[in-house]
Amino acid sequence: MIAYTLLAGLLFGLYFSLVALGLNLVFGVMRLINLAHGDFLMLGAFLAYGLYSSAGVNPVYAIPAEIVAFVLAGVALYYAVVPRLLSSRDPEMLSFILLFGLSQIIEALAVIAFGNDQRAIPATVFGIHPVSLFGQTFPAAWAVSAVVSAAAILAVYFYLYRSRLGHATRAVMASRDEAASTGINVHRVSAIALGAGLALAAIAGAFSPFMLGSIGPDMGIRITTVSFAVIVIGSLGNPLGTVLGGLVYGLGLMLMETYFPSWANLLPYVLLILILLIRPSGLLGKRVRLA
Amino acid sequence: MSPSAPLLSVERLSKRFGAFQALDGLTLELAPGEVLGLVGPNGSGKTTAINVISGVYSADAGSILLDGRSIGGLPIHRRAHLGINRTFQVPKPFRGLTVGENLEVAAVYSRADRAEIGKCLEFLELAPLVGREAASLNSAQQKRLDLARALIARPRLLLVDELGAGLNPVELQRMAQTLTTIARSGVALLVVEHLLGFLRELTTRVVVMDAGREIFEGSLEVAARDRQVIDVFLGG
Repeated sequence: MIAYTLLAGLLFGLYFSLVALGLNLVFGVMRLINLAHGDFLMLGAFLAYGLYSSAGVNPVYAIPAEIVAFVLAGVALYYAVVPRLLSSRDPEMLSFILLFGLSQIIEALAVIAFGNDQRAIPATVFGIHPVSLFGQTFPAAWAVSAVVSAAAILAVYFYLYRSRLGHATRAVMASRDEAASTGINVHRVSAIALGAGLALAAIAGAFSPFMLGSIGPDMGIRITTVSFAVIVIGSLGNPLGTVLGGLVYGLGLMLMETYFPSWANLLPYVLLILILLIRPSGLLGKRVRLA
Repeated sequence: MSPSAPLLSVERLSKRFGAFQALDGLTLELAPGEVLGLVGPNGSGKTTAINVISGVYSADAGSILLDGRSIGGLPIHRRAHLGINRTFQVPKPFRGLTVGENLEVAAVYSRADRAEIGKCLEFLELAPLVGREAASLNSAQQKRLDLARALIARPRLLLVDELGAGLNPVELQRMAQTLTTIARSGVALLVVEHLLGFLRELTTRVVVMDAGREIFEGSLEVAARDRQVIDVFLGG
């Protein structure tokens, strides 16, 4: 039982890393908490659902469309809102109000467009046979989600640490004014980061019918809360710290689901409070302070 | 007045933060290779002047000309591409990156020759630290890295914001020699500094500011005897 729980925790941990990765990337670059993060994940879920229900497209094949659509949406959202937001007198407070409002608008529009019903994509889309891992069997959808999540995390690693754009992105994360005075177009770099952040959320959304059970317009706020817990556990502002937070959350969730199922929904809040009490800068907090 | 055609002309520059008038009609000129000290008590507007000239803040009024071309509406990175580079009062190097990566980013995005990185590291005595993460450097090393990051972009105008603060006498002497060498290569320097002894090593020409305005322009020696300057510094 424990081996199954731990392995399932790792699979879900990788998935929750992907869920929260975009939120942390955006926070790292812009120092803004995107309160509409979960709503963009929900939109990604509905895009994958729409492609499946209308054309039978496997969610894996929906990923390129998700990336294109959400990178463009992120870049457009950035230039429409963020430069003015950042130049305001109180960008943090204003961003909370604005992004919370955006979250509510997206949810309301989604209710109008899709209705309140919960939707699902049958897990058989990935085949009817379970996947065996270290002697334990898991639904194929879990394994595919974990593999896609790991690939997305690797892509973010190469983007941030092995590309010229990534070096500029990390420079902006370290100091926006110094980066700009070095000749970096911080708005372009930040717009791409927001686009990447939304695209990561959308990819996670494509697999949410399998990992979260079902999708609905009201899922956004819950996802944002979980994502926030994950990045606080790992470390705010350090995108790759999200992986540690995701794994802790995934393992915690599976242990709770197995041994204390009726308490499992409290996990993000309990972990959030614990980490803020014990190590407020997150498990990789030292690096955050230096970042 | 400047000895030759000005590289930088700032005319009647104003900047207000709420009720606080940080700059109030500041006017100054700087020629290529010239060093101009910008001094004044805390809150007199020196750093704001540098922030407005470099583009961190936009001016409320007035003009900034580089080589006769208005640059007041350009974002920071465009001004950097035109040759305006700066250091910061509290250096914030790209901490997650190594010293070498810091300069590589600066070289790439300022469209400079990456071959200059090695020379710059040698010039600022950072070569032994090339693989070190910037966050692990001490304060003096971070200041040199901040200067190197600005230098790698081949500036024509270098805005230096209290580079001497926190340095010991030996480090101050070496920094003064470094800045003098930079100026002799034709780079104009606008130096905000509280340490007048350090500034004296670099230049004799200063602008003294108070409440966002220029109250004196001339040599440091004359400024030291000027009644208004003395009153401002002594709070009289």
